[in-house]
Amino acid sequence: MAPRSTRKKAVEEAPMEEEPTSHQPTAEDEDASMADADVDQEDGEEANPEDEEEEEDEEVQRVRILPGSTPTAASFEFLEEGHTLGNALRYIVMQNPDVEFCAYAIPHPSEAKMNVRIQTYEGTTAIQALEKGLRDLQELCDVVTDKFTVARDEFSNRMAA
Amino acid sequence: MDYDPMAMDDAESLGPVVKISQADSVRVKFELSNADLAFANSLRRVMLGEIPTVAIDLVEIEANSSVLADEFIAHRLGLIPLNADGVESLLYSRECDCDEYCEHCSITLNLHAKCVGDENMHVYARDMVPSGDRINQTLGTPVIVDPEGNGPLILKLRPGQEIKLQCIAKKGIAKEHAKWAPSAAIGFEYDPHNKLHHLDLWYETDPKAEWPPSEYADWEEPPQEDEPFDYDAVPNRFYFNVETAGNLPADAIVTEGIKVLQQKLAGMIHELTEGEGDGANGDYNGPRSPEYNNAGDGWQDQGYTTPYGNGGAQSSWGGAGGATPYGQTPYGGQTWS
Ligand SMILES: [Zn+2]
Repeated sequence: MAPRSTRKKAVEEAPMEEEPTSHQPTAEDEDASMADADVDQEDGEEANPEDEEEEEDEEVQRVRILPGSTPTAASFEFLEEGHTLGNALRYIVMQNPDVEFCAYAIPHPSEAKMNVRIQTYEGTTAIQALEKGLRDLQELCDVVTDKFTVARDEFSNRMAA
Repeated sequence: MDYDPMAMDDAESLGPVVKISQADSVRVKFELSNADLAFANSLRRVMLGEIPTVAIDLVEIEANSSVLADEFIAHRLGLIPLNADGVESLLYSRECDCDEYCEHCSITLNLHAKCVGDENMHVYARDMVPSGDRINQTLGTPVIVDPEGNGPLILKLRPGQEIKLQCIAKKGIAKEHAKWAPSAAIGFEYDPHNKLHHLDLWYETDPKAEWPPSEYADWEEPPQEDEPFDYDAVPNRFYFNVETAGNLPADAIVTEGIKVLQQKLAGMIHELTEGEGDGANGDYNGPRSPEYNNAGDGWQDQGYTTPYGNGGAQSSWGGAGGATPYGQTPYGGQTWS
C-alpha cells in the first residue's frame, strides 16, 4: 500500500481520477501524503520514506464483527465488498441447515461497506457459519470452473471434428 | 453437517451444469443451470468489473500539432484494448516499490508519427511501439483484429502535423475505470418466457405480439394457456453471452472471473482463520493495530472485537463503541469459535 505514484511529467492522462477501489481507509492521510510527495518530488528522490514504511506494515483488516453480537447471532462488516460477494455469500450461508437466519445489506451506497447478519441454532456459531459459507462458495466456484473447462474443451473438440 | 450447498431446493443433487452453445475468438455463449441467481449474478458482476487487465494510464506528450487536444488523445489512447496475456505477473503500480513506474508495474508504448506526404495521414494503434523490458512479448501490445491489421484509428494528421508521445500502460480493474474492462459486453438472461414475472413488459395491446421472443425462448417450455402463477418458482437456468474486447480470450474472461471471486473468498477466509489456534495473547505475525501492545484496556475501549477469538487484531478504523458485547472477553483463553 504505497502511496499512489505522483505524476510530475504527465501532460495528460485518461480521466479516471478516483482512488483505486481497493484502497480507502485513510483517504485523508492519503491526500496529505500525496501533496507532500508532490513537493518532495520536485527537489529530488525523497518521496517521504517514513510514510511509505508505515503503510507497508499496516495490512487493513477487512472483516470485523459489529458490537452487540453474540456467538450465535452476529453481524459482520466487510470493507470494500458489495453485492458481488454479499448476495452469493448470503445464499450459500442460508443453505446451511444450522443457520436460522442470514441476510446482507449495503447500508449506504457511498460507503464501501457490506454487512452480513448470521443467526445460528445451538451447536454452531455465526463465525463458523460464515467461514463455512466462504468455503462452500469456494467449492462452488471450483465446480463451476471445472464444468466450464470441460464444456469448453468438449465444444472445441466437437468443432474441430 | 450433511448437506450439499450446491444442490437446489428441489433436491436434484447434480450440482451446477455448464453448456456451451457458441465459442469463438470474440465470444462465448453458455448456459449455467442448477445454480442460484445470486451466484450467477456474482459471476456476471465479477466478469464485468473486477478482472485485471492492462490499459494506458499515463501519457507523456512531447509534440502534438494535430487538431486534437492532448487530453482528447490521451482519453482515446486509454480506451485502446491492449493484450493482457500475462497480467498476473505484472504488479499494480500502487503496490510496486518504484517511484513512478517501472518494468514490473507498467508497459511503455511509443508513438511517433509525422505527416510528410500531401495527403492526410491516419495514425492507428498498430503504430504504437512497445519498448523496454516486458514480462512477455504480447503483454501490452495493442489488440489488432481487423483484416487490414491496423487496429483502432487514433487520430488523423494533416500534411506537416506531428504527434510524438509516450504511453504508460498499467494494470487495473474496470471498477476503477471502464478502460480496464476485458469484456465489451456481457449478456445475462434467464426465464425467457417471463414466467417468474421478474419483468413487467410494457405494451400497447398485447405484449406477446409486440415483444420479440428471446433467442432462448425455444430452450424452455412456454407457459401453458392460463397456467397459474407458481409462487415457489425460482430461476434456475442462466444464459451468458460474454464478448471480449480482445485483451483476453472470451473463455478466459469466464475462468478469470471465477478466479477473482475465489481470491476474494480466500482473502476473507485467511483473515478469519489467521492466528487461529495459538495462544490467547495472539502471538502471531498477523496484522495488528498500534494499540495492540497495551492490550488489557486498549481494546476494551473500542468495544469491537474481531471475528476470530484472538488478540492482536482489533479494528484499526473503528471509533468508539460500548463495552465489549460479550460478558467474558473472547480473548481470555475462552474462544467461542
Ligand atoms: Zn514499478
